[in-house]
Amino acid sequence: MSELSIVITGRAGQGLQVISRTLGRMLVRAGYYVFVTQDVMSRIRGGHNFARVRVSSGPVAADGDKAQVLVALDPALVARHLPDLAEDAVVVTEAPAELPAGMNAVVIPLADLAREHGEDPVMANAAAVGATLALLGLELDGTEEMFENQFAHKGNEVVKRNVAAVRAGFRAVEDDHKRCCSHRLGTPAHGLGHDPKLPGSFGHVPRHVLISGSEAIALGAIAAGVRVVTGYPMSPATPIVAYCFGHAQEAGLIVEQPEDEVSAANLAIGAAFAGARAMVCTAGGGFCLMNEALSLDGMTEVPLVLCVGMRPGPATGMATRTAQADVLFSIYAGHGEFPRAVLTPADAGQAFLAAQEAFRIAWKYQTPVFILFDQFMADSLWTVEEDDLRTENRQGRQERQASEPMEAYSYRRYKPTESGVSPMLVPGTPEQLVYADSDEHTEEGHITESAATRDLMVNKRNSKLHGIRQELGEVKVEAEVEAETLVFCFGSTRGVVAEAVARLQKKGHKVAMVHLRYVWPFPAEAVAGLVTKGKKVVTVEQNHTGQLAQLLLQEWGLRVDGIVRRYDGRPFTVGEVESELEKMMGVGNG
Amino acid sequence: MERDVAEDKAWSTSAETTWCPGCGNFGILAALRQALIAARLDPWQVVIVGGIGQAGKVAQYAGANFLHGLHGRAIPHALGVKFANPELKVIAVGGDGDMYGEGGNHLLHAFRRNPDIVCLAHNNGVYGLTKGQAAPTSSLRFTTKHREAGTHMPPFNPLAAGLAMGGSFIARGFAGDQKHLSRLIGEALEHRGFGFIDILQPCVTYNHVNTAEWYRKRVYDLELESHNPLDADVARARILEWPAPGDDVEIPIGVFYRSRRPAYETCGRPGQAITGLEFDAGVVKKAMEEFR
Repeated sequence: MSELSIVITGRAGQGLQVISRTLGRMLVRAGYYVFVTQDVMSRIRGGHNFARVRVSSGPVAADGDKAQVLVALDPALVARHLPDLAEDAVVVTEAPAELPAGMNAVVIPLADLAREHGEDPVMANAAAVGATLALLGLELDGTEEMFENQFAHKGNEVVKRNVAAVRAGFRAVEDDHKRCCSHRLGTPAHGLGHDPKLPGSFGHVPRHVLISGSEAIALGAIAAGVRVVTGYPMSPATPIVAYCFGHAQEAGLIVEQPEDEVSAANLAIGAAFAGARAMVCTAGGGFCLMNEALSLDGMTEVPLVLCVGMRPGPATGMATRTAQADVLFSIYAGHGEFPRAVLTPADAGQAFLAAQEAFRIAWKYQTPVFILFDQFMADSLWTVEEDDLRTENRQGRQERQASEPMEAYSYRRYKPTESGVSPMLVPGTPEQLVYADSDEHTEEGHITESAATRDLMVNKRNSKLHGIRQELGEVKVEAEVEAETLVFCFGSTRGVVAEAVARLQKKGHKVAMVHLRYVWPFPAEAVAGLVTKGKKVVTVEQNHTGQLAQLLLQEWGLRVDGIVRRYDGRPFTVGEVESELEKMMGVGNG
Repeated sequence: MERDVAEDKAWSTSAETTWCPGCGNFGILAALRQALIAARLDPWQVVIVGGIGQAGKVAQYAGANFLHGLHGRAIPHALGVKFANPELKVIAVGGDGDMYGEGGNHLLHAFRRNPDIVCLAHNNGVYGLTKGQAAPTSSLRFTTKHREAGTHMPPFNPLAAGLAMGGSFIARGFAGDQKHLSRLIGEALEHRGFGFIDILQPCVTYNHVNTAEWYRKRVYDLELESHNPLDADVARARILEWPAPGDDVEIPIGVFYRSRRPAYETCGRPGQAITGLEFDAGVVKKAMEEFR
């Protein structure tokens, strides 16, 4: 398996996100699996940001170790990255830099090339893409097509200038530095398995896409038929709303940035009550402001999808970094008792499906459903096979009461049923009235203080959790072996844990991973079935208090044997998870 | 078809009202029903969104569809309903605590946004349901049993805030003049934009200063003064007449200001109900191209 990592470093405002995405997509087109992470400071200009691009002929869903290539848009930043580089790394930069023996500098006047060919010094990032591809021994076929896809909305001129800058960077390496890099990729023998008989770049049609977690959530929601999207800007949820804004016209969406989070949540509830599929996007801090609305949503039984992005707290914490510390908060938020589901997708592929699942469950059970994600999952770019991004067939799904003849003004919104789910109508149905009441209410929806009705309604609402549990389905051990240790994780740590576990298995350890793509209703029975007597259980989570471990104890009475934690705002690395797990399993366990 | 209010059974409800005898809310509810019937609306075409408090309960009692939600949040709920289905007539109802206290931010931005929603703010200058605390509209030095020294802030002037924020329909009614109020609500229903009415309302239990009698002696109808509601400068002068310190005041009621501005939900929006369940899978397929 051929594999390498590229670090692209620069200042905020130098277009690092664009360059890492462009380079990533070129590499996917060349037949490689790509995984891109962003390390971004919370500032608009300056500072020190970087992206890591991992390229491999096999699937990758975690960051790599040492990088073989460093692209420094600002030469002053080279020194900071030296510890992350392989001994024989190549450094692409504008000015000569002092490098340890064994490393090679490729000095290219990126800004001059950009000015000359791209008519704009910011195109230095495009020139750097061209230079990197040339160093790795790749071709430029399909560049135009790719930029046309990416920048079509910005017009032909922008596409042309980008392409010209990429070519200029590519030529600069071809002319003067062709043999500077010993890390050549070429066309992979295996890789993504494009069909070479089909026309397209590199003689094949890319069946894989490079997509961020936020884009996958937004697109999944669109596939689920979302019509109203609300959100007040807050990292890491902003890109979801931004994507929806950009696609509002063709997807028929109303996207609204209201005056505050309180309004965002309540606006979505109003829209969902009136019959539009609605979703609200926020981060932990904004979600705090929505707790009252969430509780109302549970009481009024209005279907609603909440996208909640986790970043390190409490309070403002670290705005642009990652955490998994709002799990228990999401499960228990809102006063009173009402059912909910909390989905924790691992990556862009799962996020696309989770968004659709969230809408399906919310509308079937008329209750709030969370897509709980984190900054790392949302901002990273994942290679996903397009066929895996399936749009659910919604035909024949019963989301509303059929318009069978009904006596005029006889509808009862909260009619008790065995499942707890009442047939739903929306306001505007001729000769029927629909009530939604925040007070405890009668079947019709009128305020009541009757003790008997109160009991009936509490039972009705909470009984819906049973159906939700059935709907969410199985939890399984991945890559089943005769495991003595089970490593539990949820959400975005799946890729890192899977790779660490695979390395440990190779070393002979009897270990396997259990990833939870939802944490509520907690799959206690499924988990109990997996953990047979004598097995060690460890969790890996990005928080301080071991929230998944707490859930295991509370929901199933199991005290875990260890918790691998990280809470400095940075994602886990494979290496650290591997060594922590190895320590916990003890010597001689393998 | 003409319908007689008293005989219109459609606009009734089985819910039992829980207001104090003599409460101004009865007059406001009756005026609202009259206006809805005069506008020839059927109950199923109307959604009333109520805040929490005695005023918000109008939602429960009016006889239309309702969302009886949260204290202060009637406006966001109403906006959401309007987004989903612009064909519905949407009315947000709340008290002075609802609209001017807890939901003040929503109100300010609703004036700017100008959604086609009617907003009724019952203004009795006191909190009733929580038993007599000062409201944002209580007069300076208004004493309560909770705060014997009285309030230390001048009252909020919602009409002045509305004018400053670009409101397109700014009016004040009086619960004690049902006929006038019903006509005002009718005008707000016809107005394509944010139809805001501050409604003076006595609280028989907790406000012993601003009683029905007190208001009756002081209110006057702007229309009888040949007020021109299209002139913002004239409107501003009238709006600033009250609230004002002292007992020797006159209180104008009627439409202070109106302007024509596009309703928010028609600005670059589908402009029709988006409550359908159909879906075009081609949208996702096309969007996927951007990621290749």
